[in-house]
Amino acid sequence: MKQSAAQISNTPDKKKPVIEKATDENKNKKPAVKAEDVVKEITSIKNGPKALKLYMEMCAKCGTCSTVCPVYYGEDNKKYNPAERSDLIRSIYKKHSTVSGKLLGGIVGARDYKEGELEEWAEHFYSCTGCRRCATYCPFGIDNSVITRKGRSIVDKFGLTPKTMQKIVQISLETCNTDGASPEAFKAAIEFLEEEMNDEHGIDIKIPVDQVGAEYFYVPPSGDVLVNSEATTGVAKVFYVLGMQDKWTMSSKCFDGANYGLFTGNDANMKADNKPYVEEAKRLGCKVLFMGECGHAYRVMKMMMEPGKWWGDLPFKIINCMEFTADKIKAGKLQFDKSKNSQPVTYHDPCNFGRSCNIVEEPRIILEASCQDFREMYPNRGENWCCGGGGGLSAMDDIYDFRMNVSGKKKMDQIRATGAKYVATACSNCKRQLSQLMEYYKEDISVGGVHDMLSRGIIINGKAADRKEY
Amino acid sequence: MNVLAMFIGGILPYVAVFVFLGGMIYRFYVWFKTPQPGKMTLFPAPSSTAGSIISEALLFPSLFRSDKVLWIFSWVFHVTLAVVFLGHIRVFTGLIDSILMAMGISGEGINWMSGTFGGAAGIVLLATGISLLIRRLLLKRVREISGVPDFFALLIILAIIITGDLMRFSGTHFDLEQTRVWAQSLLTFSPEVPKSAAFQVHVLLSLLLIMFMPFSKILHFGGFFFTNALIKRR
Repeated sequence: MKQSAAQISNTPDKKKPVIEKATDENKNKKPAVKAEDVVKEITSIKNGPKALKLYMEMCAKCGTCSTVCPVYYGEDNKKYNPAERSDLIRSIYKKHSTVSGKLLGGIVGARDYKEGELEEWAEHFYSCTGCRRCATYCPFGIDNSVITRKGRSIVDKFGLTPKTMQKIVQISLETCNTDGASPEAFKAAIEFLEEEMNDEHGIDIKIPVDQVGAEYFYVPPSGDVLVNSEATTGVAKVFYVLGMQDKWTMSSKCFDGANYGLFTGNDANMKADNKPYVEEAKRLGCKVLFMGECGHAYRVMKMMMEPGKWWGDLPFKIINCMEFTADKIKAGKLQFDKSKNSQPVTYHDPCNFGRSCNIVEEPRIILEASCQDFREMYPNRGENWCCGGGGGLSAMDDIYDFRMNVSGKKKMDQIRATGAKYVATACSNCKRQLSQLMEYYKEDISVGGVHDMLSRGIIINGKAADRKEY
Repeated sequence: MNVLAMFIGGILPYVAVFVFLGGMIYRFYVWFKTPQPGKMTLFPAPSSTAGSIISEALLFPSLFRSDKVLWIFSWVFHVTLAVVFLGHIRVFTGLIDSILMAMGISGEGINWMSGTFGGAAGIVLLATGISLLIRRLLLKRVREISGVPDFFALLIILAIIITGDLMRFSGTHFDLEQTRVWAQSLLTFSPEVPKSAAFQVHVLLSLLLIMFMPFSKILHFGGFFFTNALIKRR
């Protein structure tokens, strides 16, 4: 089975928590950083977006964000204080774009850009997970993730984006998936999954590929096909039980909804990464773009691309697979043998599903239907703590130490408190971060998807999957 | 009337009103017209944006959920500030007194109310204001992000509170009639400034603060409505 791109490109180097600087080989591509160019990027905020402009002008430095930030919880280091990080940009904006900053300088918190400072920005802006928990609690509604993304976009503009991230974006733009997997490799993986389901149930459960005219076009993160594939078999089983085997399809070209342009702050890359998926959906003539268990992929499609009309009006609607399945469970159309999932199970709300998309009840409906002992973790839903690998950090093994000891610390505490033996979550990045946390802290807790539990417990032709080990 | 007093009480008020209104209108106008491509979604979202903004403005529920200690200081501080602001309307015009008297409250009754509620407000404001300053100095996570503007804003507000309290509690520095004459005289552009030094310092600092508002973090009382309208809506 294939490894994820991050695993291929970087082996964990536990002694080196700092982000790798761009190497000599791509030095030529990297433009020299001129102070005035950086300042120009920052002063452009004057013209919007409105939210970012407001955030530049109205932080009261009350410190509330630091009490709700998973990174600052992990280590109360000044550089991890969200208001401090956001001030990297804010103070320069004040100096150059506000009357008071120009006249009064330091008295109103304005300062100029320091030569060479941008090199450090990569580390600073890649130590925020963009989880938006601060936005939930800030008395002024300031969303620091927006400032972080702006910071990353400036870093990216000057070629200073951490290598791991650059590579993933590049691979994804070239191959339409973050693993760099070919259509053949994908098809082989799908065949393997079909065989597995045959082993489990003794019948043929199809995963249709490239079926033009299918109603539902399923787009998971590639990890849910190549690495943690049970979520995809779960979806296939749902369609089978509903008698909709010929009503859905996957694409051998577009099978990874992940979009790292969201994480690097590069809007052009984000759109370029998104476009083939919309075109493929049109080509297949689907009525529903059926997004898998990937929070940020769903957010980019549902909350950014569609309302932002990137590609005009769409001939299909966008839903998430968990919404679909939860609806069918509520309608009594799916039955489960809960004894197949007897261990205590908890759910980790991915930030992009919870806070950004409000997909919070659906996974719970699925888990409660398919598991014997479902337990909440506290706080949860829109108030949940980030796994510590948000904003793409999960894919960066060059900051493995930071993710284990700082950003993921709170999550580990939270999971331990539930006593669960299985953490379900609907996000490939969360899954990777959480699995690494369990290994690092030597906890005997498995990590997987939501439809994984469904896949193990769903009753097909009178009985659930027959498997001894997972 | 000396030149300084005339400047503070006779010229600066006009400048302050001009700077404040001009600054705020400019800020609001710019915020209003700055484009926002795409809505920002944040859940759990309230069923009504207007309702959530009003409750957020009156009760600070987001802060309540995250930092209860700061919430109590901050909420009491802001509410008292609002009470004191309303109380100042009575200082500037006899109109409120006439209304209260028409409702059957005697002059003595009004003075008692002013002394009791106004006096209490002055003490509460001082206590919570100092608490906020101590919090900023004491807590590492707040101290490390505090700069000159954060202390400056708190100190100038505290100085205004202290000179205000001085006038109320010393009994000699404040003359209600003179203050009303001053307010009236400003409207007719023939300023007559009371002579009390405490009064003049209080007015000077207040006017400086008012002028500073559109350009400082105290702007949060205006920007607040814009950010909340942006982010809490689906």
